[in-house]
Amino acid sequence: MCPLNKELVRFPFHLIVHPFNGYWDLKYDRSQKFNLIVSFAILFLLAVSNILGAQYSGFLVNLYNPNEMNSLLEVVYVVVPVLFWCVANWSLTTLLDGEGKFVEIFTSTCYALIPLVVINVPWIWLSNVISLQETSFYYFSNTAAIIWFLFLLFVGNMTVHQFSAGKTLGIMALTVVAMGFMAFIGLLFFSLVQQIVAFISVIYQELVMRS
Amino acid sequence: MLKSILKGKALLLLGICCLLGTTLGGAAAYAEGEGASYNYSFWGRTVTSPAAYQATSLYSGVDLGVGAFKEPSDLHVAADNRIYVLDSGNNRVVILDEQFKAVQVIDSFVRDGQADTFANPQGLFVTDKNEILIADTGHNRVVHLNAEHEWVKTIEAPESDLLQANFQFQPVRVVMDKAQRTYVMSTGVFDGFMEFNAQGDFTSFIGANRVYVDPVEYFWKRISTQAQRSQMIMFTPTEFTNLDIDGEGFLYATNGDQFGDNIKKLNAQGNDILRRTGYFSPQGDIRYTVDTGPSRLIDIDIGDSDMYSVLDSKRGRVFTYNGDGHFMYVFGGLGNLLGEFKTPTAIERVGDDFIVLDKALGEITVFRTTAYGRTLNEAVRSYYRGDEQKAYELFNETINMNANLEFAYAGIGKALLRQGDYEEAMKHFKRSMDQSHYSKAFLLYRKEVLRQYFPVIMTTVVGVAAIWLAIVAYRKSVRRRRGVSFE
Repeated sequence: MCPLNKELVRFPFHLIVHPFNGYWDLKYDRSQKFNLIVSFAILFLLAVSNILGAQYSGFLVNLYNPNEMNSLLEVVYVVVPVLFWCVANWSLTTLLDGEGKFVEIFTSTCYALIPLVVINVPWIWLSNVISLQETSFYYFSNTAAIIWFLFLLFVGNMTVHQFSAGKTLGIMALTVVAMGFMAFIGLLFFSLVQQIVAFISVIYQELVMRS
Repeated sequence: MLKSILKGKALLLLGICCLLGTTLGGAAAYAEGEGASYNYSFWGRTVTSPAAYQATSLYSGVDLGVGAFKEPSDLHVAADNRIYVLDSGNNRVVILDEQFKAVQVIDSFVRDGQADTFANPQGLFVTDKNEILIADTGHNRVVHLNAEHEWVKTIEAPESDLLQANFQFQPVRVVMDKAQRTYVMSTGVFDGFMEFNAQGDFTSFIGANRVYVDPVEYFWKRISTQAQRSQMIMFTPTEFTNLDIDGEGFLYATNGDQFGDNIKKLNAQGNDILRRTGYFSPQGDIRYTVDTGPSRLIDIDIGDSDMYSVLDSKRGRVFTYNGDGHFMYVFGGLGNLLGEFKTPTAIERVGDDFIVLDKALGEITVFRTTAYGRTLNEAVRSYYRGDEQKAYELFNETINMNANLEFAYAGIGKALLRQGDYEEAMKHFKRSMDQSHYSKAFLLYRKEVLRQYFPVIMTTVVGVAAIWLAIVAYRKSVRRRRGVSFE
């Protein structure tokens, strides 16, 4: 294995256990190309692990209706929130003196997702060999993964923008609000476009019927 | 040339016929069986199911030779399967035997040497000893007659500190338990059922419904003045719509709640102890359009083995649940065909059959079990008795007729668990979405598998450890020898 490939695996694991040093390296030492490759790999793995989790997790922790399972939607559930977060965060921090570029925000967010993949993948199999009493371990690990993810997200944001801890927390809360606004505007936009399309098609139909 | 075209056309036609055939065949298979009914899956979807009951006959008062019924409002089946029909409009009780032959008509009784009659009675109950209780609504009293239909006592409007001064006693439904206590449902009473002791004295209220507070209403009420508030509707608990009593003395009641539990099983303290361990809490239809709304249950009947059935007046359907709260089957409906009603008002069981009373038409519809209904009833009964082997066979038969009946798989699973076939049991519990039993079966299965492979697993572990230790020791010795040679 050539050194770069080895580094592709080793660096993300180094980052999640040493987030302060790791994110510093990410911002100042690592090449953008390297970070992007890892980020997309993480996004892909997370989507795959979510799909596998929805399909193959044990019956005791995963009551799933095969009629409503949709792999494409699982991918959307991963990609859309990440993109929303990055866009909202970038929009806010540009105005509030953040030093991070969009690429840095994106990569730092993706790196923060690693615990979700690393902890949840073994549990896809493990959840098949536990009893109902032991499912508390499953839920505990899930919660631990989420807390770890939030912590990494916090450290990543702080390092990338060179903010103080308090300001980072405030920005993160504002980002969530901004995501809500974006979702609202997006829905509004789609419904308006739909109405315009319907309007034009009705006019077209009238013209066709008259002539 | 022409021939080949013709041949092609013939092939095409054949193909189309085949396609049509398959689609038609599919549709036919769908509608096959003894009428179509439905059930609800774990996911809340409506799934098809064979009919468990089918209407077989219809009786009006004229058919029975007692003159047309006029707005009959209640009926009751005694322990000896005699059917008592309360013909409210004609102020009489008509007694039929099992074959629907009129046996007797009670339209008056003798009280203290004087003849007395009923006035628009609404409720009727017959005890195990064939004593009759009649909620004589027009006279504001409950009349108690013994098995020979002689007057025993009358429960008049009670006087108690618990009651308001302007209290109007209008009994509409009545039941009596084995200790001769009478429970009366009275219109305009929001505190639950009125309980009377064996002498007919009022003792207390039991099992009041909870108040449902509409948040929007509550908000407006908070910001309005005292004068405005007095003009608004009060928050009052919903009234009960009917009640029945089972062999153990538990009251089953239905109420007109739009939200919350509209079926209740009340113990002596008035607490609701109905088991709601099915996929949905028993409530009639769970899928309905917004403008028609949920079921309005107006009668309840308790069968053997904790099974009970409720009557939905909004859609004229009869829903039956088992003691665990699993939805078993549904039949009936509003319409003009046999087996459909206009204003159904009361249901009762006669053995395994159902009779439904229609108030406006004054008719009694008889429903008899289909093969499917019989098997399912018997399966639930065997399961209730604890006869798991019998239940296993019957549930297997049931799912052969209706693969959509998910709770039946749990019944099979439990029998398999008892037999020690854990792997199969797990499969069946999974199919019925029963996590707790699945977990039980799984623990036993895991233990079994681990015990079976324990020698192999342990040998491998010990072997690997030994090899690893040997390698470490060997490397150490090599290094030491080299070290020695270097020095």
